[in-house]
Amino acid sequence: MSEADPIIRLDGVTKRFGSKVAVSDISFDVGRGRCLGWLGPNGSGKTTLIRCMLGLARVTSGTIQVRGHAIPAEAGSALERVGGIVEEPRFYPYLTGRRNLEVWAGLVGDGARERIAPALERVGLAADGERRVKQYSMGMRQRLGVARSLLGDPELLILDEPSNGLDPSGMADFRAMIRSFVEEDGRTVFISSHLLDEVEKIADDIAIVHEGRLVLHGTVDELVAAGRRGIRLRVDDAERAVSILQGLRFITRVERRGDGELGVTLERHDDAAAIAVTRALVVAGVGVAELARERATLEERFLQITGGSAADEPR
Amino acid sequence: MIRSTLRTITGRRGSFRGGGLVILAGIFLVIVVLLVVNELRPVRNPSIGGQPMLDGVGGVVWALGIVIGILVGALAGSYDVAQGTMRYLVLTGVGRVRLYAARTIALVAAIGLLLLPALAIGIVAVLVLPSDPNDEVTAGELADVVWTAVVWPLVFALIAMGIGSVLRSNGVAIAISLLFAFAASPLLTLLEAWNETIGDLMLLPALDRVTGGGSSLAIPVAALAVFGWVAVPWLLGLARHLRDEY
Repeated sequence: MSEADPIIRLDGVTKRFGSKVAVSDISFDVGRGRCLGWLGPNGSGKTTLIRCMLGLARVTSGTIQVRGHAIPAEAGSALERVGGIVEEPRFYPYLTGRRNLEVWAGLVGDGARERIAPALERVGLAADGERRVKQYSMGMRQRLGVARSLLGDPELLILDEPSNGLDPSGMADFRAMIRSFVEEDGRTVFISSHLLDEVEKIADDIAIVHEGRLVLHGTVDELVAAGRRGIRLRVDDAERAVSILQGLRFITRVERRGDGELGVTLERHDDAAAIAVTRALVVAGVGVAELARERATLEERFLQITGGSAADEPR
Repeated sequence: MIRSTLRTITGRRGSFRGGGLVILAGIFLVIVVLLVVNELRPVRNPSIGGQPMLDGVGGVVWALGIVIGILVGALAGSYDVAQGTMRYLVLTGVGRVRLYAARTIALVAAIGLLLLPALAIGIVAVLVLPSDPNDEVTAGELADVVWTAVVWPLVFALIAMGIGSVLRSNGVAIAISLLFAFAASPLLTLLEAWNETIGDLMLLPALDRVTGGGSSLAIPVAALAVFGWVAVPWLLGLARHLRDEY
């Protein structure tokens, strides 16, 4: 298998539980050395697909290849250099963190035991390795889960909601750690999360699943760029500015936000449009105190695509 | 892999370490009782070691070993699924049959580790503590007691592991395994009233025969019957383990 080949290849993957279709006809590839954010509302099939990819559940139809090996037929070879967290990292609570890793190292083999100390160091648990896991916080268990994932020196890390239970400072460290797996180690990371702003900062690519179907797959930049296009203005005469801007053809909407601030939606989102807006206002004698481009956040795009509301969608 | 799996079984304080301590406490209780009765009525109880000690040690390890073997075996079968660690074991890429086989071998080793220290202390007590010449034990008698005290707990532990693997819930697995051992198995021996041979093929008579008890069944047939009683739940557990999604 060459480096150019995708590390994950999904082709028409469908998983049913009785009459319920959890995952429906999903096909896409994940390239090597990238971080893919796997997003979807609760119950959309995110974890089900991850379980299928890791050989924990069988697909109803379609094929999955991981590292060039078919799942589940060649799961042993496929999973040799794959690490993962599914839903929640689980351990033997009565053993210490280090002992837990020793248990898994015994199964992974191939130098895994020598990777225990570096793995604990990397996730920031070197000082807590001798504590029993039942004394760990949720965030510590998440980090220990990542350490366990590293024991097999994985080419691919599949992490399902790995940032659950982390505090804000832990979140920043965690983000940096995930990026280092990609940028420094050259690993591929497939990460599912409901924390969209976190995924936006971590991921190179995004795939969105909704009601079991893949509704979007592309780079983060492409996804966000296809969203709302606008600029934010602060002017000294909002009323006059609105009437001037409504006369410009490439402006589709002007919204007054109070205190001289306007939100302007444009047909196109380039420098020329911003310059034209500024020029039109200045020529008309409207003072421009501030002009800033507004881009859609991943969360806004996510809600647009899945048609969800803030109440039932991930934060 | 077996050492790793063994560590997960022996690391459980409640079932394994606690169980081991209970058996050791039982042995020390036997020693204390024999010391006391010897002190109080030396003519009637001339021996502390020897045959009385062997009977006491064998009985304690056999009885407590069955109960604790069931606890350890049921948890060996159910714990990983109940705790959610099974998916991470599967995720290592190690085949499910190998995982199950490793768990079985680790359980056998764990039962050995559970019983052998107590038996060793008990045997030392049998041989070292003073005894009447009439109460001296032979090597054959010692071997019989060790064999019985190990085989019964081991058989019930393996059956409990199969039950645990099928049921996947710690509490339910322990309860059903205890019910099987102490209610269903004795009731099944009543089949002897209907047909003697069928009665002899039930678990308790067959196990009794294998460990030196007296039924008319040939020992190889009795061993085969015991193997069957262990194999059925074990294979059902394996089938569930192979089929389950984690």
